Amino acid sequence: MRITAEAKTLTRDRILEVATRLFQTDGWHVTTTRSIAVAAGIATGTLFNYFPAKEAIAATLMAEALRRSHQDRAGEDEGSIEADLFTLIWSGLFRLREFRKFLGPAAETIFSPLARAAPDSAGDAIRVEHLELMEAILTAHGFAAPRSVVTGQLYWTLYLGVFMFWAADESPGLEDTLALLDESVKLFAASLGVHRARALAADSLGPI
Amino acid sequence: MNLSELVAALPEDDRRTMPVGSLHRLWTVSEISAQVGLAYLAIWIRQWFTSAEASKRQLMETNLRVALKLFHRLGYLRGALAKLGQGAAHLPHLLPQQVADTLGRLQFDAPPMHFPLIREVVRNEFGRGAGEVFVNFQKEAFAAASIGQVHRAWLRSGEAVAVKIQYPGIARTIDADFRNLSALLLPLRLGMDWGSVKAQFEEVRRMLNQEVDYLQEAESTRCAGALFRPEDGIVVPQVYGEYSGRRVLTTGLLQGVHLPEYLAGHPSQASRNAFGTKIYVAWKRMFYAFMPYADLHPGNFLFMEDGRLGLLDFGCVQHYGPEEREITMLADRMSFEDASLMPEVVRRVCGVTEGDAALPDYLRMMAESREWMMEPLSTPGPFDFGDEAHFQKGIDWFSRTVQKRMTRANPMYVYMNRSIFGLKAMLFRLRAQVDVHEVIRQERPRSSPLAKSR
Repeated sequence: MRITAEAKTLTRDRILEVATRLFQTDGWHVTTTRSIAVAAGIATGTLFNYFPAKEAIAATLMAEALRRSHQDRAGEDEGSIEADLFTLIWSGLFRLREFRKFLGPAAETIFSPLARAAPDSAGDAIRVEHLELMEAILTAHGFAAPRSVVTGQLYWTLYLGVFMFWAADESPGLEDTLALLDESVKLFAASLGVHRARALAADSLGPI
Repeated sequence: MNLSELVAALPEDDRRTMPVGSLHRLWTVSEISAQVGLAYLAIWIRQWFTSAEASKRQLMETNLRVALKLFHRLGYLRGALAKLGQGAAHLPHLLPQQVADTLGRLQFDAPPMHFPLIREVVRNEFGRGAGEVFVNFQKEAFAAASIGQVHRAWLRSGEAVAVKIQYPGIARTIDADFRNLSALLLPLRLGMDWGSVKAQFEEVRRMLNQEVDYLQEAESTRCAGALFRPEDGIVVPQVYGEYSGRRVLTTGLLQGVHLPEYLAGHPSQASRNAFGTKIYVAWKRMFYAFMPYADLHPGNFLFMEDGRLGLLDFGCVQHYGPEEREITMLADRMSFEDASLMPEVVRRVCGVTEGDAALPDYLRMMAESREWMMEPLSTPGPFDFGDEAHFQKGIDWFSRTVQKRMTRANPMYVYMNRSIFGLKAMLFRLRAQVDVHEVIRQERPRSSPLAKSR
């Protein structure tokens, strides 16, 4: 029997929905592809036709939420490079908030440098897409490509630090994450020489 | 890492040259009120150093080095230490030079917040972003607060307001900072005044926690506002409770200039006297309402074009309980009516009683303090607070007290002294002549035989 595209989409969405529920209620480590398949009413083998592992399910949930966050902030110009980077990251975390409980442990695998080497790594796709958005912000603020490989690596290290902190943050209103994110984007901007560039620009304008 | 290395490791940007000239330094580096209050911390540290045996000093220095290293990257208390360091630099012989140098180089300001961060802090308070809560919200701050910044905004009713926003997470660092400081320094319980020192330490912690709670500040602002009538010419901004929370405070927007801008306009002596009198009245009014204005510095006063005085920032207002009220009125009676109450005041305020070897020193200290405080009433008519000799006398008194390590005092005096020096410093800078007799006659509670009924 031939399965229609519509049926495929329905099954895929059902897997994502059931997996989200199980990750949240049973926890990341307890939930298996088998338990997801059972709860979704499909054979485990069928699930593998859609997702090769539970990490791929979590990565898909993440990627879709992050894409929605990019639409949220489309066209927004916050003024400074720090503000734009802050918004890029925070709007993503804001969209991911319903998955926060399980994204910490899931991210350990999804974003592992070892997992990145695997073909079709869903985590790596998220990384690449996010770094492209970061690059676009840098370019919009006058930092012309090509950039040193350290720039991307430093940014991603800071991003992952903020992400993992956010996943476990128990402060009211996630205010500790807000402060850490703020400091992190400032640190990254400083590494680009933003302050030096601003000082030079101010000098060339003369006293205001 | 030794202390020299620690100093060397501090960021270059944090190293600022201290201006020279004693009084000049007091005005330019930071507000004296903050310096005086926080110099207490320096007194305690100095005490540990001077009263310890040589063998223990090394241990203490090690602990202090670790503390400094920690605090350089910590939150709110780093601000307190920065001010303390600046204060210590002006009170010679207070701390070992290396330590004073290190403290003097620590700087603290809450980092400036860009709008996306502001939006999230507001969202945390109200469940909606700044652009949704207010009709119009200016993205650029118009003033810096010690732990945040202030923005102009407009309510749906059309009123312009000042929205003070606190940097996220900073409030919750206070207790953790104090716990760390305690863990490092409390084992060094040296000196006979430890109990008093500990109580004062606790008072500083309590007040810092109060300062970061904007709901408490809103309440203090409302209480202060209720003390003043239109004819006083003293304005306290209205609080908008539905637009305020623990980390966001919305008040009416007062139009006016701060002291430096006011002085730059070369105001007449009459104008300076009028503003000086209002400052004195405001201070006395709040004092007798048992809610002294403990953070009295130029940034908290607005000189309004119509001659009114605007009071801002009520985060650091003490609210006296029964014991503090009793002590306040006892000291007041000693000052104005009966100098023979001095031993009783020393007993209540400092806990120094008959038979204590320190009693003569404390009585002398109290007599000098009273003399300085009452000097504006020593001659009839207005008193010239621009008289440098008067101000210097107070500084000398405080320095002597510090050098003799007379640290025993009720915790309320940590902030009371800060408030008094802040008042005198403001009036000195303003070069105001104030008829203190008249202010006292108006403001002292009616139970006093000197007071006129209001």
